[in-house]
Amino acid sequence: MEDKITIKAIFWKFLKIGSFSFGGVYSMLAFFERELVEKNKWLTHEEFVESVAIGQMTPGPPIVNTGICIGYKLKRLKGVLATTAGQSFTGTLLAILLAVFYVKSRGNVLLTSVMKGVGAAVVGLLLSIIFKMARNTIKDLTSVLFALAAFIALALFRLNPIGLILAAGITGLAVYGRRR
Amino acid sequence: MVLLKLCWLLFVINALTIGGGYVMLPMLQKEFVVNYHWLTNQEFLDAIAIGQLTPGPLTVMNAVIGYKVSGLTGAVLAMVSSYLPCIVIVTIVARYYYSYRESIIVQACFRGIKPAVIGLLAAVAISLGSTAIVDPRTSGIALISFALIAFTKTDPSIVIVGAGIAGAVFL
Repeated sequence: MEDKITIKAIFWKFLKIGSFSFGGVYSMLAFFERELVEKNKWLTHEEFVESVAIGQMTPGPPIVNTGICIGYKLKRLKGVLATTAGQSFTGTLLAILLAVFYVKSRGNVLLTSVMKGVGAAVVGLLLSIIFKMARNTIKDLTSVLFALAAFIALALFRLNPIGLILAAGITGLAVYGRRR
Repeated sequence: MVLLKLCWLLFVINALTIGGGYVMLPMLQKEFVVNYHWLTNQEFLDAIAIGQLTPGPLTVMNAVIGYKVSGLTGAVLAMVSSYLPCIVIVTIVARYYYSYRESIIVQACFRGIKPAVIGLLAAVAISLGSTAIVDPRTSGIALISFALIAFTKTDPSIVIVGAGIAGAVFL
């Protein structure tokens, strides 16, 4: 059965996606596809793949951008607002509740121990993200140099990452822009 | 003034998050922890953990930062400023997808940025590691978490919950 695509329906669908998708980007994307392509047939598989591609090649968190792109394809700007609000509603609400709880119970001995363990796990998580990103991106000497230069500029010279990302873009343009 | 600064920084940072959601971390840490001292390194780690634990995109960690800086108003404005650049950019790109995809300028810039952000993330991991990893037990938790997420399909949220329990028991 093909549901009628209304703004309300889009909001509820993305509220569901945003509320039940935990973990990494891939589990979220799989959930997107199951709900939007297979169940509701709001998008074709090709439109979905294109939205994921746009999400990855635009500045901003890819998963957020994929949702925005789907919203745009479905109902233009109103669709964008519906997907964005739906996708982040539950997470934002829970995050604020946790933040309130966290600020109120600061100094609590048990919470401090819990957060010490959690902090160590976040460092492990970051290392695994770096590992996965490096495996996909670092492919030749030039890319190694880009990564190394950025690392040294931030870790040793403490330069500003916003400026460094802009500089990397400009350097990328100088190095790769003339090919073809 | 603080709110305006918060919104502007989040707007810029999200517009420059190129190559994955985690790319915002080096920028967030530099501005909010190092430059403005709105959070400590430990609080920043906790904000990442909350963003990871809650369903939906990691971006919701910015609500935690906003809450710390300026309460409920800060949290809501933080989310709006984080999404605004994405909405503007994506709606434009969705319209001109094919010319954007073929654009040599965009491709060349991204080819420079994508490896560079890995270096930035590595620097942040070291800085956060020096706060979080203080003894053999915390290094053990970090190492196990790394191995579980990098080499198995374990959901990061489960790893974080497990590490919290381990923290309550052992730390």
